Amino acid sequence: MTRMRAMVIDDSRAMRMILKRIVTKLNFEAIEAGDGKEALDLLHAMSEVPELALIDWNMPNMNGLEFVTHARADPRLREMTLVMVTTESEQSQIVRALAAGAHEYVIKPFTEGAMIEKLALLGLVPTGANS
Amino acid sequence: MSVEVEVNENDLAEMVEQVWESYLDPEGVSPLMQTYDENQASEVHSSVSITGSWTGHVVYASSQQAARRAAAAFLAMAPDEVSEEDLSDVLGELANIIGGNVKAMLPPGALLSLPQVVLAPETTARYPNTQRITGVYGMWDGEPVSISMWQSRGDNKEGAE
Repeated sequence: MTRMRAMVIDDSRAMRMILKRIVTKLNFEAIEAGDGKEALDLLHAMSEVPELALIDWNMPNMNGLEFVTHARADPRLREMTLVMVTTESEQSQIVRALAAGAHEYVIKPFTEGAMIEKLALLGLVPTGANS
Repeated sequence: MSVEVEVNENDLAEMVEQVWESYLDPEGVSPLMQTYDENQASEVHSSVSITGSWTGHVVYASSQQAARRAAAAFLAMAPDEVSEEDLSDVLGELANIIGGNVKAMLPPGALLSLPQVVLAPETTARYPNTQRITGVYGMWDGEPVSISMWQSRGDNKEGAE
């Protein structure tokens, strides 16, 4: 069975490491990008699009909301599940991200368990993967 | 625009506890022990600025050793393997996480900057025309760590001197 792939998009290397640890534990192959622009460039160069993208909001060059908007406008990226992982926790920001096309929203700080639960809700990992 | 700040020491302490629980001390064996000493020394600091409905800064400051330990916890490596780049990255992310959560408690219309990191004591920082309005000050395994909020005086007419 082919391993699913997750793109981790965050300008903090430390946060990318944390997210990478979680998705790797869930048997995803992790791909890293430091901002939305780098992520789009990588995605355009890939023959197969990852199943999941975990996206920070506040990043230089291209922020997470802009990335989601671009990704949703690209038919090739339509199947990719987009999860915002951010400190932007106001209701209005969550609504903006979901309206732009994000599927889920995880607020920093998050525990590993909380992240796994979200991914289970999205059907990307088996329910109970956290236990 | 003048707003009464709605974030107090207890709110900050709760956010800090969540950061420790999520990243720095997931086992719950080494929490930040509050000292309530706003003059405790620091060797490095990071900050994010907030503008809009409230204007000011959120500052994370600590000793070099506490910063190294935080970076080691984030990056799952030994403290002596942590590079200066790792220190900066993790200090910036800590300010970003706490600042973002502070922003969420402010009236709508606040914007958060990208973090700034300075590998020098908080006392070297200059936040013109601001005053410290609240903070959490503590020791983490014997090393000083503080998180404070600085409000622009123009944003707090009653508090201006």
